[in-house]
Amino acid sequence: MTRRIINHPVLDKIDETNVISFTFNNTELRGLKNESLAAALLANGIRTLRVHEESGTPRGIYCNIGHCFECRVTVDGQQGVRACLTPLKEGINVSSGETFLTSVRDWRSENE
Amino acid sequence: MEKEMIICRCEEITYGKLVETANTYNCTSRELKLRTRAGMGYCGGRTCRNMVDSIAYSSSERISTEITLKYQPPIRPISFGDLGAVER
Amino acid sequence: MSKVIIIGAGPAGLSAAITIAENGLDVLVLDEYMIAGGRLLGQLYEEPNGNWWNGIKESQKLYEKAVELGVKIYLNTPVSNIEKIDDTWVIYTNTETYTTSHLLLATGAAEAPLPIPGWTLPGVMSVGAAQVMTNVHRVKPGYHGVIIGVNVLSSAIAMELKLAGIGVECIALPKMNKVTKESGNPMDVMNSLLHVSHMAPSTFVKLGSKLMKNEFMKKLGISFFPKSGVKMWDIPIMLRKAVIEIYGDGKVEGVKVATISPTGEVIAGTEEKIGADFVCIAGGLYPLAELAAVAGCPFYHIEELGGYIPLHNERMETTLDGLYVAGNITGIEGAKVAISQGITAGLSIIHNYGLSNQEAAIQAAIHHIEQTRKEAFIQFHPAVKEGKQKLKQHWENHRNSKKLEILS
Ligand SMILES: Cc1cc2nc3c(=O)[nH]c(=O)nc-3n(C[C@H](O)[C@H](O)[C@H](O)COP(=O)(O)OP(=O)(O)OC[C@H]3O[C@@H](n4cnc5c(N)ncnc54)[C@H](O)[C@@H]3O)c2cc1C
Ligand code: FES
Repeated sequence: MTRRIINHPVLDKIDETNVISFTFNNTELRGLKNESLAAALLANGIRTLRVHEESGTPRGIYCNIGHCFECRVTVDGQQGVRACLTPLKEGINVSSGETFLTSVRDWRSENE
Repeated sequence: MEKEMIICRCEEITYGKLVETANTYNCTSRELKLRTRAGMGYCGGRTCRNMVDSIAYSSSERISTEITLKYQPPIRPISFGDLGAVER
Repeated sequence: MSKVIIIGAGPAGLSAAITIAENGLDVLVLDEYMIAGGRLLGQLYEEPNGNWWNGIKESQKLYEKAVELGVKIYLNTPVSNIEKIDDTWVIYTNTETYTTSHLLLATGAAEAPLPIPGWTLPGVMSVGAAQVMTNVHRVKPGYHGVIIGVNVLSSAIAMELKLAGIGVECIALPKMNKVTKESGNPMDVMNSLLHVSHMAPSTFVKLGSKLMKNEFMKKLGISFFPKSGVKMWDIPIMLRKAVIEIYGDGKVEGVKVATISPTGEVIAGTEEKIGADFVCIAGGLYPLAELAAVAGCPFYHIEELGGYIPLHNERMETTLDGLYVAGNITGIEGAKVAISQGITAGLSIIHNYGLSNQEAAIQAAIHHIEQTRKEAFIQFHPAVKEGKQKLKQHWENHRNSKKLEILS
């Protein structure tokens, strides 16, 4: 059973022909060009995008619009990329967030 | 169960910890954040801010004319590769 | 330096950009999302006249019109900070820094969550996340889900999920605690639902809103509210059951619900499990005003508008020179109101720029906002109008105190 909603009773049919490949944690996957990384991964049945840096609990998308930063992944070496608002491109390598060590805490240590 | 429930997802601060701190120090929302680190993680409190406020205001009064809302820039993390901006 | 910069390419930001460009000023719109349209993109509902409000189409129309008029729109561009240096607003993004004399904040709203044990499990998402996955990205958030939180947005999105062929087991309340408060209290939820009864194709709710005018009838109504819920679009809406836990090993497998009393207390021994592969949390919306906060705008907490609001007047001017606000940053309402606010902000900017006198147009636009509000199909808070009145009072007080400062 596909997770994609190709036909919809009210919305237009989607174009599912522009298929490209990318990797997630070294596994080769397929997705639609320019859809969000989060959508492409979910369409492949992948919900866990990273684990919490300290406790190791699995995390996936929460807000899907860039507010919560739960979906952050590493794309071609760039860390902290939000999967919910980053368009999928041919051949990119996506991986679960690497450990940020102390940097995550420190970048906003002055906060509040 | 409820005590271990997470409120701040970024820093994994629990409901139990927040309620206990709010009761012990009878603190304002801002003080509650500083004492527990709730809302001071990666997302900058966008997700849990209202919940932390609710817990704080259940033990102290909300000042509806707070006047200045405390938010610290940057409100979106900046990666090192992105620094050194120029006018386009 | 662009003449005008707008942060947010939602209905408010795009409408403002169109209005400004039509009057000959060049505009730059910045947005961190990958598609223009903001939260309008995911919206889909049938209006009373039988027409569908298709958010994707509406967004496209606004976007194309703006581009046609020469508006520059940079997507995938998060703004991390703004500050005023001398007479110039400086806007910091992840790549570049921009400057302008007239800056409009149209950053919209964010969702407030309801905490439930287990809500960090993959597969738990905000109800808006499920809306965007379904209607914008066209990927099912799951095959059968549970929605926690009974309100306007969750009922609307439940219907949208159904429409896309996604199963919704039920919409239930969250267990009451210091955070969920009214959202976990059946009486309070019933009260708020009565205000949206016109949207519900359910005879129970429709009849209910007529019958339940007084407190006694309401209490009776909630006591007799069937434990298995009342169906809306074939989805059971449960006002007498609360989700006490989301369970699963590494991902959502279901929720535990328990029967609750009319005042929200869990009745021991009534726990049961409902299987689900995704869970949506619907805690309501609040204005996303972080940039107005770092800029130093004064704020007021106005419940009817959804939270802390940056002080502004009907012309969408803030107390800071050259800084404007429009859309959901000024209070939670539907997209049509956001559009009319965007137009008003656009006219104010043109007027203040001194190119042409827009006084009459501004007054008409302000009137149009009120009209749109009155006719709105979706109203997130029944007392928005009163909320706006409060804000107006705060504005006058602020102005008067400024006048006093100058005099003394
Ligand atoms: C999840 C969700 C679902 C909703 N569903 C409905 C619905 O079904 N029906 C309804 O009537 N209303 C709904 N609303 C209310 C909605 O806010 C309004 O209908 C309308 O979209 C508000 O328009 P706006 O232009 O003010 O803001 P938005 O449409 O929210 O647009 C704001 C834009 O600003 C951008 N932005 C914010 N901060 C930054 C930043 N720092 N840097 C760069 N860009 C930024 C965002 O990416 C976004 O594109 C929903 C709101 C949310 C949050
Ligand atoms: S899911 Fe919240 S930022 Fe991506």
